[in-house]
Amino acid sequence: MLELVEISLVLLALLTFLLCGGVWIAVSLMAVGWVGMQFVGGNIPAGPVLATTIWGNSASWSLAALPLFIWMGEILFRTRLSEEMFRGLAPWLNWLPGRLMHVNVLACGLFGSVSGSSAATCATVAKIALPELKKRGYDDTVSLGSLAGAGTLGILIPPSITMVVYAVAANASIIQIFLAGFLPGFLVMALYSGYIIVWSLLNPDKQPPREPAMSFRMKLRESAQLVPVMLLIILVFVTLIAGWATATECAAWGVLGSLAIAWWHGSLSWESFWQSVMGSTRVTCMIMLILAGASYMSTSMAYTGIPMALASWVDSLQLSPYALIAALTVMYIVLGTALDGISMIVLTTAVVIPMIKQAGFDVVWFGIFVVLVVEMAEVSPPVGFNLFVLQTMSGKDSNTVARASLPFFFLLVVAVALITIFPSIVMSVPRYFYPA
Amino acid sequence: MLRKVLDGLYLGAGYLAGAFMVAIFALMMAISIGREINFNVRAGDDFVSWCMAAMAFLGLAHTFRHGEMIRVGLIIDLIEGRKRWYVEIFALLIGCGFIGFFAFYAVQMNWQSWQFNDMSQGVVIIPMWIPQLGYSLGLVILLIAFVDELIHVLMGGEPRYEKPKPKTAEEVVEQAIQSGV
Repeated sequence: MLELVEISLVLLALLTFLLCGGVWIAVSLMAVGWVGMQFVGGNIPAGPVLATTIWGNSASWSLAALPLFIWMGEILFRTRLSEEMFRGLAPWLNWLPGRLMHVNVLACGLFGSVSGSSAATCATVAKIALPELKKRGYDDTVSLGSLAGAGTLGILIPPSITMVVYAVAANASIIQIFLAGFLPGFLVMALYSGYIIVWSLLNPDKQPPREPAMSFRMKLRESAQLVPVMLLIILVFVTLIAGWATATECAAWGVLGSLAIAWWHGSLSWESFWQSVMGSTRVTCMIMLILAGASYMSTSMAYTGIPMALASWVDSLQLSPYALIAALTVMYIVLGTALDGISMIVLTTAVVIPMIKQAGFDVVWFGIFVVLVVEMAEVSPPVGFNLFVLQTMSGKDSNTVARASLPFFFLLVVAVALITIFPSIVMSVPRYFYPA
Repeated sequence: MLRKVLDGLYLGAGYLAGAFMVAIFALMMAISIGREINFNVRAGDDFVSWCMAAMAFLGLAHTFRHGEMIRVGLIIDLIEGRKRWYVEIFALLIGCGFIGFFAFYAVQMNWQSWQFNDMSQGVVIIPMWIPQLGYSLGLVILLIAFVDELIHVLMGGEPRYEKPKPKTAEEVVEQAIQSGV
């Protein structure tokens, strides 16, 4: 019997080797789970454990929210929603320093409230905002950076695919994590808009002229464009908060509302309907196999006892909670350079959750922390998806886009620091609805 | 001929998975509206869970062949030519091995449910082997797809599970959205 430390190192080396060798992430997780089981005494059969664990975790009521939220985003992406949001929001932001650049932040926030994907949010808003801002002579760097940064609001403001995956992996309540995302979402929006204001005040020469003035009634008429998306947001949030819907039900209502918007826009045909169905089926299957592999690896890890041993080792270090969070942030930033957000979450939760519980953090709070670090990964090279999206949409090279996003990356670090120092930013909303 | 049958199998199972997703949506709406008008969908939550499992596994082969099963491309993308071929064979061998292992035990579990006549625990009692069929069948089809690819690449074919690098902005956006984050 090897020592736990040696087993952990063997498993870690194996995982790194498989992932780097181009083995599919889900398969690598299964392989590590299987090898982990070989170290466990007591003749626990590795195969039957695999089959029953994964069946038990996959035939799950709460997981059914996942395909529906993905589907909702697929449908909305194919509508004219982004155009309407730009025209509806623009007239109201003329007076702020930075002017229409705030549309990036607000539109992403709005779209994030109906979409669970950060790449989809970024792409949907950039599709219209990027050319419009360029035409009016806004600074490219801040415009690109704010789009990359604000796009990540898609996964911070509920609904969020990332949150569903975390909740399933960490065995936490999806609804509570959704509720916990609201205030941090506003916080990040405020940080972004604040940065744009400060930057504009410091660089008045880079400001394009004001838009022609509009009468109040004209502004209102333009804003009527926002009615569909507002109705959808209200539908989703009311079903979520009113408590008569679970997360899965809320997702189903969201799909219904999105189909209604697509129909209203005239972009709903049998062909586009099936395209959205098959697109979301594939994304769901991809995520589900990763979750399956991860659930097997977690089970195997639990048998070996590594997570608990690691948790008590970290506990014995007597780290302050702040030092622990700082260390974890660095770890996730490093992981984020190679892995996508979902793999990062499922890979680490099994090991990290016992550790943070022992340190006295709440799993719901940690969910928001994880979402924020995944957002950082989204806007940092080399595999940040938002950077890819903007790179091709703007035709700039990857360095320009990455450098433009850097300030917004640091604003996310600030957000992590703020929620760590003031945990009630995260916890007050879920605690209001679900007192501990 | 065989090619057509196999491609049809992957796609057919994929469509079936899509249909199960639509079924989840329809069931959820029925449950949600039913509660307001005092109509109880019997064991609705059980059926949703089973649809979820069937959907997740039946669509795997189609997802794999569509190039959407993700892996870390950072390092292997630097490798080209003959060396890349070895990397692909290595990944496919590991894939075939573990998917085969997984599929074998899923079928075994399904088989035992049938043999021991396991029944569901909920309001509606049905034999468990029926909902488990999507699970074991989906994994067997995925295994077939993996072996299919292994043979194809061994014979010198281009891997069909790898999406071509996106060129237009639309393709990039499409791929980014399919990353799920």
